[in-house]
Amino acid sequence: MDRFELICPAGTPAALRAAVEAGADAVYLGFRDETNARNFPGLNFTRQDLAESIAFAHARRVQVFVAINTYPEAGNLAPWHRAVDDAARLKADAVILADLGLLDYAARTHPELRLHLSVQASAANAEAIRLYRDAFGVRRIVLPRVLTVPEIAKLNAEVDVETEVFVFGGLCPMAEGRCSLSSYATGLSPNKQGVCSPASHVRYEPRGKALASTLGGFTINVFGEGENAGYPTLCKGRFVARDTAAYLFEEPTSLNAMDLLPELKSAGVRALKIEGRQRGKAYIGAVVRAYREALDAFAAGRPVPRIDLQAMVEGGTQTTGAYTRAWR
Amino acid sequence: MRDPDAVLDADAESIADGRARLIEAELSRAGLGLVLRMGDRGSGLLLDRLVRLLAIRHPRAFVAMREMPDARVLIEPTDARVALLLRVGPELSLRLRPCQARKDGAAATDGMADAVISGPYARLLDLLEGRIDGDALFFRRELSIAGDTALIVALRNTLDGEEMDLLADALSFAGPLASLLPVLRRNAGPLLDRLADARRLLPPPLKWGIARIEARLPGFGPGREA
Repeated sequence: MDRFELICPAGTPAALRAAVEAGADAVYLGFRDETNARNFPGLNFTRQDLAESIAFAHARRVQVFVAINTYPEAGNLAPWHRAVDDAARLKADAVILADLGLLDYAARTHPELRLHLSVQASAANAEAIRLYRDAFGVRRIVLPRVLTVPEIAKLNAEVDVETEVFVFGGLCPMAEGRCSLSSYATGLSPNKQGVCSPASHVRYEPRGKALASTLGGFTINVFGEGENAGYPTLCKGRFVARDTAAYLFEEPTSLNAMDLLPELKSAGVRALKIEGRQRGKAYIGAVVRAYREALDAFAAGRPVPRIDLQAMVEGGTQTTGAYTRAWR
Repeated sequence: MRDPDAVLDADAESIADGRARLIEAELSRAGLGLVLRMGDRGSGLLLDRLVRLLAIRHPRAFVAMREMPDARVLIEPTDARVALLLRVGPELSLRLRPCQARKDGAAATDGMADAVISGPYARLLDLLEGRIDGDALFFRRELSIAGDTALIVALRNTLDGEEMDLLADALSFAGPLASLLPVLRRNAGPLLDRLADARRLLPPPLKWGIARIEARLPGFGPGREA
């Protein structure tokens, strides 16, 4: 039985080292600009950081994937093209792309470069995946977090492209790459500038003993005393209608699919991905170590240990998300 | 693909003893209290020297902090009498301020700072050294932030990208004494056990006297962690 590949996040070289030492098979990361979907202040890699990090990872037989997964602006393709060129020049093992034009550029300019399709492309059916494979030679698809396990199994039965699914971390319940909620509130786009709920537009305000989170002046949530807090993302906002406060799309909660390893293996999934390039190296070390332990046990046919990651998650709650729930 | 022989950093393992960490936090908190008592000029000179030393040991982080726009971040323990005021930007500096029993980041709006991070001292120390995930602390409401969120995120990411050991860095002032730190860390557990045993055997008046002295140490504030 092929082992799952464990794909882990890194927002800094120190986080990459933490992921490698904790047992990552591959680490994904982005450059310090709008070409990737985690464009947060102080985060990400310079070209020199990437060169040093690839050397570190490759010496330990760990792969490095570079996410260049935002959509280039009209008339300003150069930063995205440079990112692809530099990832290829520095010997990244794959680039993770979403934009059709950028996929075409990468396929034509660097035919030897392995292409993965980002979750930002929201490729969720066999026809779309075949198109990416046939037109650009895409070797792996990161599936959107809105599919059930039976749907993933059906996809894998229909197309011979590797699939990668998120198993832990922040849970985006929207059609990724197409969500404009954050853009509406802030004027900045997750899909073009790489910033969902940009920190520049976030404020936390005490309201008595409660904590209010706001985004672009909109109140997204008010957490009562002692209640676990979450990020101020609109998809996980709590809104008042008819004097009742309730979550409209999703609660502040994190994905954890550790209990679904047998189902994901049966569904033909090749790689498991941990979310959280914006998180600290302590989070990355702890979560990667836990998943390494679980995957090693699973591969050896031993019971998967129950590893408590509750302290790490948004809102203090965990879910298996769409994998086991048909909330669409 | 993963190297099965890869091992975790032995140094990280050797200081994992929570009790050693606790005593480090207590000592550094007391040390900051003593520095505060040196007055603005004396403490400023000492902290400037510390910043220069840290910049040499962690050039990546300090270059990044100098490249930030000029701004001030107040790092305010909820259980100590002294707070750190970090100025980022070209005029990078660190100063101490007495805690003013502020609530919920009030300093962000009174002109002292553009942003405030507050929480238990030991947690803040862990956060500064990247030993703990700031988001997880925030989710659990152990850490609160106020003011310019982008400034706090940039600072957090910059410091988390570094592998810092602030106590070891600060002790490198002390020349040969710095070499005692790894020895103390390795032996902190047994040493603390012996001290606790000895303390239990002391007559009550002596125990009370020690407790009174501890309470008067300047870095030890109200509500300190057990």
